[in-house]
Amino acid sequence: MMLLADPFTKALRDARRGLLGWAVGVGAVALMYAAFYPSISKPAFAQALENYPESLKRAFNLQDITSPAGYLGSYVFGLLVPVLLVVFTVITGSRAIAGDEESGVLDLILAHPVSRTRLLLSRLGALAVEVVLICAVVYLLLVAIAGPAKLASIGAGHLAAASAQLALFGLVFATLATAVGAATGKRAAAVAVTAVVAVAGYFANNLAPQVAGLHWAQKLSPFYWYTAGQPLRHGLQLGWCALLLGVSALLTAAAVTALARRDLAT
Amino acid sequence: MADLAISTEQLTKRYGRRRGLAGLDLGVQTGEVYGFLGPNGAGKTTTIRILLDLIRPTSGAITVLGGEPRRLGVALRRRIGYLPGDFTVDGRQSADELLTYLGNLRGGVPRARIQALAARLDLDLRARIRSLSKGNRQKVGLLQAFMHEPELLVLDEPTSGLDPLLQQTFVAMVREARGAGQTVFMSSHVMSEVQQTADRVGIVREGRLVAVERVEELRERAVRRVEIHFAEPVPPSEFAALPGVTDVAVTDHTLHCRLSGRADALVKAAARHTVVSLLSEEPDLEELFFTYYRGTDYRGTDYRGTDDAAR
Repeated sequence: MMLLADPFTKALRDARRGLLGWAVGVGAVALMYAAFYPSISKPAFAQALENYPESLKRAFNLQDITSPAGYLGSYVFGLLVPVLLVVFTVITGSRAIAGDEESGVLDLILAHPVSRTRLLLSRLGALAVEVVLICAVVYLLLVAIAGPAKLASIGAGHLAAASAQLALFGLVFATLATAVGAATGKRAAAVAVTAVVAVAGYFANNLAPQVAGLHWAQKLSPFYWYTAGQPLRHGLQLGWCALLLGVSALLTAAAVTALARRDLAT
Repeated sequence: MADLAISTEQLTKRYGRRRGLAGLDLGVQTGEVYGFLGPNGAGKTTTIRILLDLIRPTSGAITVLGGEPRRLGVALRRRIGYLPGDFTVDGRQSADELLTYLGNLRGGVPRARIQALAARLDLDLRARIRSLSKGNRQKVGLLQAFMHEPELLVLDEPTSGLDPLLQQTFVAMVREARGAGQTVFMSSHVMSEVQQTADRVGIVREGRLVAVERVEELRERAVRRVEIHFAEPVPPSEFAALPGVTDVAVTDHTLHCRLSGRADALVKAAARHTVVSLLSEEPDLEELFFTYYRGTDYRGTDYRGTDDAAR
């Protein structure tokens, strides 16, 4: 019953089952792809890849997939896990305020002695914890399989750095989805905006550099902020971390302001 | 102002072009039970949501328990118990979990209090809310509104979905709350739901308060239908001229009439004959209300039951 103490712990309690599923699911995907590395690192595979057009390789992060850091950075940390994490944050972030508002659940809670700001920060805080937990599971599974999968050369420290930046990347989308939901009260709007930003961000990072005059777009992509420092090779990139954290903080501030001002929907 | 639990002045709320409230002047005294009556869409829920700071007025002033909801929201809501018109909660939790959580948001409510109320309402706390019937869900809603014994109870259509037995329990709970000095502000669209408990009734229509009446005074003025069965046939002329008696009709041994005010003259006239039985209906205050306000500032054309009342 301890988890019924306040809105933060209640949000974690309500999330527990879904979170377990997501952590296991995302972790399993990371594990499976990591385990696949020994067969990809064979020279034959690298030669086959030589024949792929450069633009295609860039689009799918396949430039250097034969080294451990390149492979893990391209597949696990560059595509599958962040995309799954974005889906998770879109679902949970849009639900945090807008979903509960639409279903009518928010009315009762906010008729209690709980300020809107406190409720929002509690739910966002719980969401951040959930994102960190998912990334922690990914990290632990990767550390466990690094040896057998011949990925040990990356090192646990650099794996931790990449996982930490992954969590901050997830936080950006969690706060974005929550903020749009808090500002509009509409779950569909929160889902749509966040999904568009994610898709546009992905292509801006992977395709824009190949299009003349669109290079600048890459710099606006959360995918770029998260991967540009190559944490698997160089460890934690404090500058990029600060940027991801700063954007999350700005989105949180915007969410707080917007929610405090408006009428709640019936 | 100090003795007013809720007061509003020219309270206005617009939703885009749609009207919510159009200059509502409301005064609910501390310690009274106030029935807030009006048809759907008149502005009852809008008023309630403004006083909880769930929505903000377009213009006008509102004071709740001496403070402004907009500025003192959290502090005021600590002293308020609220039952929403549509009590919606996450159905996956048990009633017990929900009530513990809501109690904690209020700084903790003794378990014994929750259990006593649950026993009284005949509610199984262990049941998942999803599995509860509408009536049982409403019990959970009532319980969370009453459990912390708030200074002000704000109840939006509290009796919807409750069976008659529970409505009586609810009436008793409201009376006890008033006995303990709590103020009760409850909305309804039917008079019969509030007339048992309310001290005063305010009628809201198209976003304005159009009438406020003491229920007691309404009751004194009320018209009752009276039916007296005699042992032998009686002449209608003996009754037609009595003060307060109208619409006299005698069929066989039975007298039907309508009585307003005291029953004394009618009873004494009837006593000249052998009375077999006597039936006096509880007055329909709603009917009275509309008779009373018809032709003044109250135009209750699309109101429930008005057409009958006007005849």
